[in-house]
Amino acid sequence: MLTAVENQLWVCLLSVKYNIMREMTNKVTFLTNIVFMMLNNAAFIVQWLILFRLREEIGGYTMKEVMLLWGLTASSYGLSHILFARVFTLHELVVNGKLDAYLVLPKNVLLSVMTSATETSSIGDFLYGMVIMCVFSFGVGRFFLFLLFTLTGALIITALALLTGSLSFWLVKSEMLGTHMTNSMISFGTYPDGIFHGTAKFLLYFIIPVGMAIYQPVHIMVSFDGGMLLRVLGYTALLTAVAVAVFYRGLRRYSSGNLMESRI
Amino acid sequence: MTGQSGQSGRMLLGLTKILGKCSLPCRWMRKYIVIYRSVVMENMQYMANIAMGFVSYFVLNFVFMNLWNYMYGTSGELIAGYGKEQMIWYVMITEMIWFGARPAVVARQAAIDIRGGNIAYMVNKPYYYPFYILAKYTGEWSVQLPMYAALAAVMGTTMVGKLPGFHVTAVPVIILCVVLGITINAVFKLCIGLFSFWIEDTHPFQWLYDKLILVVGVIFPIEIFPEKLQPFFKLTPIYTVCYGPAKLVVDFSPGKCLEILCAQFLYLALGSVLIYVVYRKGVRKLYVNGG
Repeated sequence: MLTAVENQLWVCLLSVKYNIMREMTNKVTFLTNIVFMMLNNAAFIVQWLILFRLREEIGGYTMKEVMLLWGLTASSYGLSHILFARVFTLHELVVNGKLDAYLVLPKNVLLSVMTSATETSSIGDFLYGMVIMCVFSFGVGRFFLFLLFTLTGALIITALALLTGSLSFWLVKSEMLGTHMTNSMISFGTYPDGIFHGTAKFLLYFIIPVGMAIYQPVHIMVSFDGGMLLRVLGYTALLTAVAVAVFYRGLRRYSSGNLMESRI
Repeated sequence: MTGQSGQSGRMLLGLTKILGKCSLPCRWMRKYIVIYRSVVMENMQYMANIAMGFVSYFVLNFVFMNLWNYMYGTSGELIAGYGKEQMIWYVMITEMIWFGARPAVVARQAAIDIRGGNIAYMVNKPYYYPFYILAKYTGEWSVQLPMYAALAAVMGTTMVGKLPGFHVTAVPVIILCVVLGITINAVFKLCIGLFSFWIEDTHPFQWLYDKLILVVGVIFPIEIFPEKLQPFFKLTPIYTVCYGPAKLVVDFSPGKCLEILCAQFLYLALGSVLIYVVYRKGVRKLYVNGG
């Protein structure tokens, strides 16, 4: 059993490695994409410098904490798109009958699909998050927490995309829902939760899971709370399990297309 | 809302028909009007899809409403000369232009055509390639932008309140200003896209240009930046692309209007020269591999 899991993980890592190597065919383009994505994200520091000129704290956050928020959002988004970029276009595979190529593989279908693409620019997002964390609020313990929450954040973003993408097994026009959910997570995740009240806050913690992916982890990194940490880990595991279950439930409905495709 | 947009779409088609039948200057434009018309008709088939984009627009505006509600502690407070309602309306207008006139076709198609070699066929067609792209883009935003404008108006009046000092009589000149701003943005984005003749991937440069416009012009009005930086920003496309049109909506004055229009015409002329030079030089670099 353990050997099988180890084997599967090894295949996933190899898949990601070859995705990145494929992207690196043109090294200049590869590096430009990464560096410019980091600069692209850094442009938003200007926004926060301007806002913090007007007030010393915004929604209970100081500049350092907002940067931590930004860093975590960027690195979580980055990691999810480095490892599992294909989940974000799952709809296309399902609707166009392109899943066949994965169904015949001798390994786990879902993991084969998820790890079959990498978005180069998201390496820039991931690195930007790390740099921001180290520049604005470095601490050894906090760094390890940051790594852990980058992983949980990436899993939550991926699980949400998998959940909405799996709806394509039932609904043809469901891709917009997934795109909006991911975009909303990023839009909300880069602003302090203290500026939202009432229903909006409820939505951010229970419908768009940005509260568990970004806000709670930032609160834990600022002032550690073991109970809150367990809640984040539990929520991540639960959402991931639900997303995987929905995918396999939907896969039963999948009827193959007559599209001839080979993966090399 | 869809009904209103459908009506405006039909009006657009009618207008293009009339223009297509005109003589002299319009004869030269006829081919571009045909391209424009076909894109308008195509986009009108996907109005429901366009309306799906409202969600992201709503979410972003909702975030900014909350942010500015928080930033304006007391009522009547002014930040950089803007009241709370003016600031939120400013962001809603700039976001409306950002979402309703997304220059994806300009940014992407030039790069795809050049990288994929399709440009080799297109340079031989009886149209000027940059105008072809701009005509397509105009067709796209002329369906999308009115829809986003209607949404912005509904959201603004229901969630923010009436805009103090807004003059209905200024609407025609504001529309002209918005159209010029969108065209200037498209010209500059196309220029960047045409750099694909030299470099393989122009996306990173498009991101940087977009972020410059987004952070400096869309999210904030120029007055919020330190005074020393403001003259510099007035010299960039930001002043003409989003700040100008939104400023006229929230705080109209004839003097400001004239200043913005002059800057827009100047930028359009400059951008047109730039596009002419870049395209001319780029096409000379083109070679065909066959296949």
